[in-house]
Amino acid sequence: MEFAESLRLSWRAIRSHKLRSILTTLGVVIGVAAVITFVTLGTSLRADVLGQVGADRTPNVYVWASPAGQEGGGPGAGAQPVFTASDVDAIRNLSGVESVVARGVVPTAAVSAGGQTVAQRQVIATSPSYFDSGGFAEGRAFREGSREVVLNEQAAGLFSPSVEVGDNVTLRLATGNSVEAEVVGLLNGSSGGGAFEGLGQSQPLVFVPTDPFYRTTLEVPGSGESQRVYPTLTVVAEDFAAVPETKASVQAYLENESDAAKLVPGNYEFSAETDQDLVDQIKELLNTLTNFVTGIAVISLVVGSIGIANIMLVSVTERTKEIGIMKAVGAQNRDVLQLFLLEAAMLGLFGSVLGTPVGVLGAYAAAQYIGLSLVLPYEWFAIAVAVGILVGILAGLYPAWNAAKTDPIDALRYE
Amino acid sequence: MAASDSDAESDVETGQGDAKGDHEGAAVSLRDVRKTYYLGEPVHALDGVDVTIPRGSYTAVMGPSGSGKSTLLNLIGCLDTPTEGEVWVNEREVSAISQRERTKVRGQEVGFVFQTFNLMPKLTAAENVALPLVFQGIDKSERIDRANELLEDVGLADRGDHRPNELSGGQRQRVAIARALSASPAIILADEPTGNLDQETGKQIMGLFQRLHDEGNTILMVTHERPIAEHAQRVIHVLDGTIERVEEIESPRRVETDLP
Ligand SMILES: Nc1ncnc2c1ncn2[C@@H]1O[C@H](COP(=O)(O)OP(=O)(O)OP(=O)(O)O)[C@@H](O)[C@H]1O
Ligand SMILES: [Mg+2]
Repeated sequence: MEFAESLRLSWRAIRSHKLRSILTTLGVVIGVAAVITFVTLGTSLRADVLGQVGADRTPNVYVWASPAGQEGGGPGAGAQPVFTASDVDAIRNLSGVESVVARGVVPTAAVSAGGQTVAQRQVIATSPSYFDSGGFAEGRAFREGSREVVLNEQAAGLFSPSVEVGDNVTLRLATGNSVEAEVVGLLNGSSGGGAFEGLGQSQPLVFVPTDPFYRTTLEVPGSGESQRVYPTLTVVAEDFAAVPETKASVQAYLENESDAAKLVPGNYEFSAETDQDLVDQIKELLNTLTNFVTGIAVISLVVGSIGIANIMLVSVTERTKEIGIMKAVGAQNRDVLQLFLLEAAMLGLFGSVLGTPVGVLGAYAAAQYIGLSLVLPYEWFAIAVAVGILVGILAGLYPAWNAAKTDPIDALRYE
Repeated sequence: MAASDSDAESDVETGQGDAKGDHEGAAVSLRDVRKTYYLGEPVHALDGVDVTIPRGSYTAVMGPSGSGKSTLLNLIGCLDTPTEGEVWVNEREVSAISQRERTKVRGQEVGFVFQTFNLMPKLTAAENVALPLVFQGIDKSERIDRANELLEDVGLADRGDHRPNELSGGQRQRVAIARALSASPAIILADEPTGNLDQETGKQIMGLFQRLHDEGNTILMVTHERPIAEHAQRVIHVLDGTIERVEEIESPRRVETDLP
């Protein structure tokens, strides 16, 4: 039997029960729409986050010590100040290392400027090379040993009028002392603060030079000498190719030779992560999330396919006599199978073809609501249509098989 | 087939005057056919039937309800298989071929006409007539031509686009006959074709069969009504699953063929 003719006959069967076919299709529409909505949102979210994170990829290795087995929390989570100034120098001399930027936090209560005071939990103490990658809207990096600060635009914007380069600010330290400093640079709002300041976030940040602001010191074991200790380091590799090797040698140094190894609490371990590691982690997290939600949506698709199976079973029973007639005039089992499978496949196809735009619409509405720019996963539209047809065929398999093996005499006798 | 010719000789004893007991040259030939249904107690719907239907003959089958007439027809029409015995259609033993092959025979070598018409309700008259050709993979344009030609033959040229529920009983039966003819089968089987029709309409259908017979078709028709049976050349009387007797009709009834 020609394919075109079965198509015509199946289409006619679908049309002869319009409402029923529409309701059956609706089950698949909802299933496919749900899947497409979540996949589209997942894709958009990924593109959004990775766009923020991955835009300015650097050959950096982020190093910190955290409780063993700690998962997530991002770079620097749970970090203890264990890296001594000698460690920093030693790492700087490892092969493949371009520079090392130590970073610590100075606990503060507030920042004042022009008579206004805003609360600020901490400022970040680091070296001028922290700003090597640029990102200044105005001004320059601070100089080591001078009372200078760099703010990001969010921090400058806390004051009205905004703090400008050349203004003086007062840092009220947690110890109760106040320190005056001059604003020498403003960072772009979008340039972020680096991996340790949280990815893609835009909180107000204040940067100060370690000297004279950072006072956290420890006695280096075995030397009797006190040194500044830092909770986090950013090791900049010479180039991207050197990143994995640098990461390995830094880790080896820390574990075997460093002061940090002696200072670190027993159940702590060193973490060294590259930008790529971070991106991979975020990707994995987003994938898990998207897969989970999509999995739930797939359940509604399964429900939709059960609807098709159900309606096809009814349809086969209802048309037992017609099946008998067709067989009596020479229809082979496979002709009957083909007819009913096609009918089920068409229901699945219509469901997915209608469900896809509905799903995109749903994703669009949700993206508008949470302020996400939509990225359409085109390949998923093709997948959805293919899955729709497949769902129809799978759901129709048993009913169609039943139809095909109907005995013509029994069927003709059927009332 | 040649191999089974020798058995054919030994099984000739059928007791039917004109039946040579051989499938050779016959449209249909049954040899010791039995059909038994096992529902607790075995029911012998057919209990040893031997009969030969020559080509171009017009045969009626009569008998009380439940005597096995429909069973006989279904076996010949390859809708059913015998429990025992051989059924030959067009010199081919259809009781010994695969289901697939039997379906082919059903579509190409026999044409069935039912008491309840059995038209596809969602298809037009023309599509119903063309349906057997669809399953044989005949070209669409050829199918349409053939359907129109046949509808014209049965006097329904202007009803091709009508659905069965828009046609009268007689018209439906004529569509069913046109469908039975569409694959140019060797034999037309009709199970009480006038059973659901009034006398006048029944006469029209008989006129149609008469014409088909005159044109050289083989017709085997089951009926309850003596006057209908008398249109045939022979009447096979069935009783309790066996052939009771075969009656030759001296001068079969003729209908004035004036198809509307
Ligand atoms: N599928 C079946 N299962 C069990 N018994 C059956 C079946 N089909 C037919 N029979 C039995 O076989 C016998 C012959 O049935 P058949 O339909 O051939 O009779 P018939 O001569 O056509 O009767 P009628 O004139 O009423 O149509 C009956 O006794 C019937 O009960
Ligand atoms: Mg009967």
